[in-house]
Amino acid sequence: MTDFYQTGIITTLHQLGKPSLERLESELLGFSKVRPIALVLPALYSEFEGPAMPGIIQELTKVKYLNEIVLVLDQASEKDFQRVRELMAPIPTDVRIIHNKGKRITEVYETLARNGLDVGEQGKGRSAWLAYGYVLARGRSDVIALHDCDIVTYNRELLARLCYPLANPNLDYVFCKGFYSRVTNKMNGRVTRLLMTPLVRSLQQLVGHHDFLMFLDSFRYPLAGEFCMTTDLARVNRIPWDWGLEVGSLGEVHRNYSPRRVCQVDIAATYEHKHQSLSPDDAGKGLMKMAVDICKSIFRTLASEGVVFSDGLFKSLLVTYLRQAEDTIMKYEADAMINGLSFDRHEEAKAVDTFTKAIAMAAQAFTENPMSTPLIPNWNRVTSAIPGIFDMLKMAVDEDMR
Amino acid sequence: MEDFLNLILEPLKELFLKFKAFVPNLLAMLVILLIGFILARFIKLIVVKFLTAIKFDSWSDRMGFTTLMRKGGLWNKPSAILGGIVFWVVIIVTLMSGLNALQIPATDQLVGQFFSYIPRIFSAAMILIVGYVLSGFFSRAVLIAASNSGFHYAKILAEATHTLLMVLILAMVMEQLQIAPSIVLAAFSIIFGGIVIALAIAFGVGGIDTARRIIEREVTAKSEEETKDEIEHI
Repeated sequence: MTDFYQTGIITTLHQLGKPSLERLESELLGFSKVRPIALVLPALYSEFEGPAMPGIIQELTKVKYLNEIVLVLDQASEKDFQRVRELMAPIPTDVRIIHNKGKRITEVYETLARNGLDVGEQGKGRSAWLAYGYVLARGRSDVIALHDCDIVTYNRELLARLCYPLANPNLDYVFCKGFYSRVTNKMNGRVTRLLMTPLVRSLQQLVGHHDFLMFLDSFRYPLAGEFCMTTDLARVNRIPWDWGLEVGSLGEVHRNYSPRRVCQVDIAATYEHKHQSLSPDDAGKGLMKMAVDICKSIFRTLASEGVVFSDGLFKSLLVTYLRQAEDTIMKYEADAMINGLSFDRHEEAKAVDTFTKAIAMAAQAFTENPMSTPLIPNWNRVTSAIPGIFDMLKMAVDEDMR
Repeated sequence: MEDFLNLILEPLKELFLKFKAFVPNLLAMLVILLIGFILARFIKLIVVKFLTAIKFDSWSDRMGFTTLMRKGGLWNKPSAILGGIVFWVVIIVTLMSGLNALQIPATDQLVGQFFSYIPRIFSAAMILIVGYVLSGFFSRAVLIAASNSGFHYAKILAEATHTLLMVLILAMVMEQLQIAPSIVLAAFSIIFGGIVIALAIAFGVGGIDTARRIIEREVTAKSEEETKDEIEHI
């Protein structure tokens, strides 16, 4: 159980006491008649072979309030696709699977490319974007929820709590982000703890009061991959296709809507998923790549809101960040001690060194090309360029599902 | 014995002579087919390159042709599909020319019929393409006009316009291709006439009250005018 403190400028919905899941689900079933809910699952075939996806499927078979499930399957052959169809069959909800490497979907991507619409490389961002397009094309849902497919501690309460703020017509939210503690026998979530929060606070220190920085700092877990939004938002939001997906999406939400209509919800007591390696010497993979993409996304969003980044500012940022991060390590060490968690201070310091390097690399990349951070065009622009794209996407998926 | 041998050899000789006369024709046909095949591939390549250069695929995407192809289960690039069509047209023409080279009366007639049918195929294709573009244009015009006038059923109206125009265009195409023209004409007349009668009845029956109100208003206005004339103001 957490406290009931309201963090920052957005609404925080805590898990207070032990709210009944049955009550939540029965209310959601009623709300779903007014606001039908679609669940988007960006998945890799390998996740079906591990422990995560079978557990998620088992939980989803018990969910009755969902209107449709759109699973975007990546890195899968035709045979894998058919296998996934069989695995998803026990779920009573209408399940649509987008075979990202299928011939028809490839042709949809080619259609977008030849019309000058750069949708980036394969990854969660592009998959999520395509799934939003399919939900919009079908026009059967008003709310889109999305969560990762590598959650090994998944239970359906996570989904219910994630959907509730948007599904309830009495609450006027357009975007809701999940939060949770990433704790096992130690503290995980290094990028959020040791990069995001110290970086945002350092920027606040250097730039002064800034709405977007305040907005970012209001989120307890800004990099959480679990969120829920209205279909209107899915239509107008542009999202990055790289690791800047979460931060870039928040930037777009901040740009298009008032923080009063944004909330975060406590969705799980514990959350465990696959971990990335730190990869301190290779900026092309692991947490290093993630950190560079996130920093670039933050810099670009701030620059687009009028913040001027100079060489001096970046140099100060590195030093300020380092100080903030070191202080953060001490805070978490104390936190770990009181909770009896193991805490490897050396590993944490190594992570901070890596993230400092990542900030420097992102700063350099941003200085060289401020427009480099990729954003996938929103669906309004896509339908304006290719009026028949929704029909095409719908046909591609329907044909694949036949 | 000699007579008996002649009886066997004469037909064989005759067959050989006929075959000897036929071989050059057969060789001509094979050469024509070979050249035709190479030519078809070359033309296909040129057509695809040309269409790619003029951004035909992108144009097709915007005009809705690509979506139409997808509806028909074709999932290649529009330029590749058009290239494929050109390839097969050249192959068929080559095949017909090859058959003609055989100089067999039965195939000569078939070839003649085929070549006289080609202009019809082209004009049918033109009607289909231009008709599709025009129906899309009119349907969008109806959609814009109806939604600007505040009609809630603007989209249905636009789709109905598109469907009706497509029915008309398909009937024209079938008639052009001479595919059961009398049946097509009759079916088209029945369907189109039926729709028009249905609309007339729907508007007529639905508008009875409105018409009555308009007539009553007119009559009342007239009688009021007449009554007014009787009153003399001081």
